[in-house]
Amino acid sequence: MNLIPWRNKKSESDLAENDLRPTLRHFRSELDRMFDRFFSDPFDAWPDAFQMLRDWRPSLDLTETAQDVIVKAEMPGVDPKDIDVAISGNVLTISGEKRECAERTEGCCHQSERRFGGFRRSVQLPTSVDWEKVTAEHSNGVLTVRLQKLASSTPKRIHVKAR
Amino acid sequence: MTVSAIEKQEHGELTRREQTRARRTFRPYVDIIEHDAELTVLADMPGTSAEGIDINFENGTLTILGKVDERQSDDADVLSREFAVGDFHRTFQVSEAIDNERISAEYTDGVLVLHLPKAEKAKPRKISVKS
Repeated sequence: MNLIPWRNKKSESDLAENDLRPTLRHFRSELDRMFDRFFSDPFDAWPDAFQMLRDWRPSLDLTETAQDVIVKAEMPGVDPKDIDVAISGNVLTISGEKRECAERTEGCCHQSERRFGGFRRSVQLPTSVDWEKVTAEHSNGVLTVRLQKLASSTPKRIHVKAR
Repeated sequence: MTVSAIEKQEHGELTRREQTRARRTFRPYVDIIEHDAELTVLADMPGTSAEGIDINFENGTLTILGKVDERQSDDADVLSREFAVGDFHRTFQVSEAIDNERISAEYTDGVLVLHLPKAEKAKPRKISVKS
């Protein structure tokens, strides 16, 4: 009937061999870490489940072609006037605010899934870009920022000569 | 048609269609607000267009379908990807009596605003009590 190995029955030497202390220590530190994480940012521990409770932030898509770096962000319901795009160094920052529309503030809300509020996202660009040649456009709730790479930062192939 | 098939149809089992789509679909985030005269549905649907949105209201079932064009080009190298592109699809059961003829919708900055005006009989009416 007894399916659990009963450690007490084993000899002293056997016990020393299978010392449980490191395992316990590891388990304890793992637990501590779990609590730390929960109290520092409770919603980050389960990102998907608590996505709805978090502040709103747009998702970004960063792609690169031979000449450009393209950043796309989904921001439905954000007025283009409320979007601010800035570059400093190699960091592109998109910030703004999604405002609640008049329809929402009056009347009785049956379902409320959309999130509102300010947001700020920064991305490290892979190469240097020409600050003069940056275009940003907002269409149907998608912001597209196109940054032209500096000529000096496009990769140059160096031919290896054989002697 | 066999007897059991008719029975099933009467119970609504056969009339319910399960949709299958070749592309992946997403459930848009939605707000539903009730006003005295109408129900307003606001849906976050980035990347679609007024022409690409199909709204169907039939027997109290509201279906919203938004076609989204591919916007992640193949020739570009992906450095980071936080969203996927797919169509939007969502279905609601509307218990309120809706005036089908006057349903209207507009699409601005990636948000669909759908107005479902209540039918005359469903509007709240104040009844004054005479003494």
